[in-house]
Amino acid sequence: MAGVLVKGRFPRRRLIQAVATNLVRHLFGGAARSWARNIGSTAPALGSMTLLLLMSGLVGLAGFALHNLEQVESGQASLLHVYLRDDAKPPDVASLWRHLLSDARVAGVTYVNKDQALERAQRIPGLPQLADATESNPFPASLDVQVKKIDDVAAIDALVRYDVAVDPVYPTSYDKGAYQRIQAVLFGTAVAGFALLGLLGFVAVTVTMNSIKAAIHARRDEITIMQLVGAPRWMVRGPFVVEGAITGAVAGVVAGLVTFGLTFAGIAAASGAFTRFAPGVTVTVAAAAAAVVLLVGLGLGSGSSLISLRRHMET
Amino acid sequence: MRPIVEFAAVTRAYGARVALDDVHFELLPGELTFLVGPSGAGKTTLLKLINREIRPSSGRLWVAGMPAHQIKASRVAELRRRVGVVFQDYKLLPRLTARENVAFGLQVGDLRVSDEEARDRSLDALEAVGLGDRGDAYPHQLSGGQQQRVAVARAVVGQPQLLIADEPTGNLDQETAWQMMDLFEDIAAWGTAVLVATHNVEIVTRLQRRVLTLVQGRLVRDQPAGRTGRMAWLASS
Repeated sequence: MAGVLVKGRFPRRRLIQAVATNLVRHLFGGAARSWARNIGSTAPALGSMTLLLLMSGLVGLAGFALHNLEQVESGQASLLHVYLRDDAKPPDVASLWRHLLSDARVAGVTYVNKDQALERAQRIPGLPQLADATESNPFPASLDVQVKKIDDVAAIDALVRYDVAVDPVYPTSYDKGAYQRIQAVLFGTAVAGFALLGLLGFVAVTVTMNSIKAAIHARRDEITIMQLVGAPRWMVRGPFVVEGAITGAVAGVVAGLVTFGLTFAGIAAASGAFTRFAPGVTVTVAAAAAAVVLLVGLGLGSGSSLISLRRHMET
Repeated sequence: MRPIVEFAAVTRAYGARVALDDVHFELLPGELTFLVGPSGAGKTTLLKLINREIRPSSGRLWVAGMPAHQIKASRVAELRRRVGVVFQDYKLLPRLTARENVAFGLQVGDLRVSDEEARDRSLDALEAVGLGDRGDAYPHQLSGGQQQRVAVARAVVGQPQLLIADEPTGNLDQETAWQMMDLFEDIAAWGTAVLVATHNVEIVTRLQRRVLTLVQGRLVRDQPAGRTGRMAWLASS
């Protein structure tokens, strides 16, 4: 008969305390010690991941700003100015207005007289000099037509271009290729940004996987012993996942702080110009981007570790 | 009495090479058994099968009530907690003291073991192997025999039903080897089945315990305890 150790039943609170203590010690404590011990082999992974996350944060903010810029441009491109002849008769203008309002593709029509057109021109950079150069008002009255969908702007232009009330020389503000050119530039920028991030991501994941592989090699005796004494699989692998997460978190914190700092500095230094070139990018948005960068770092670090464990750790 | 280990027609092949071929035997609780044979006979393969480091290619293998031939990877840890393992090279963690090495084996195997309980049980285990006063020593401060004793304490502290040892005296002098065997006899006397793979002929012949002989992967002899002299093979034919 085997010797039997008689144990008293542990109170539940002490049992939970023992499990929690052991978990923290073996999962997090072991991972933190190993991470600090292997900082030399982790440094390349840390560097490439920090660079990736920093680029992600900045590219993400730039993408957000470009998206907002596109929305602004889209809104402006779907606003069609229909320029009226100086000698257009009010009934003809009213008829054209009604005709436009009855069109299902049109969201609204606003009449802008010559004085309002001049006033508006004086607010546009570069145009005040032109507006002040002559004593007469060169800006025509117009009907500002807000089209619901940007794709319908061309059709509305064709509808009004030959109306009797419309200026035959310069009938509308419609520029056939302008919006498409903006979209092409934005699309190209997005593709280039994603390609760069993809490349950096690949490098960061590969380098992190290699650092975890080195950590597995450095701790192979401990791993063997843990496996042989019956440690569950999650407990053998867990510290390496935590180790990868620590790498990702440190990289995320550094990259997040730099992203936030650069954006904050940009906003503080040139708020007017910053708002025009990066609409919607505020301090709150920068803080949110920094938080996302940190979370992505955590995910990337632990994910890379998991992939490495699947490849390099025997069961 | 229900066997702790049961091999039934177990074969293990590595590619075309057959390391174990149609092996049948049983180990009972409290039985100290030696596993002998020339190098490459399959001793280590047999021990690895018991600890489920590898699976049999065919046949059935039961260890401490668990079907080692078919259990899922997620249950391997449970099986290993029922088996203590001792290696020729001790496999102690150098950054931990003797007591911490023993407690480590206990706590990573069972998270419910508190620090106090782990300390008490590891000190008890070290006391049992004669190292009660060396708990705070690091492995490099201990002799080979003492390190092997720590390894034995770690293997038995979780009260396994079976203890397997792969060449445990391989790095020890003869006197220390005998002390190690006394320890294995004590462990077996408390009801744990002990299987020791060894090349030490003197120990095997003098202790007069059961001997399993492997040659080229086949179990060629199973000599019962007390019948392991020079002519003992007559009894197993």
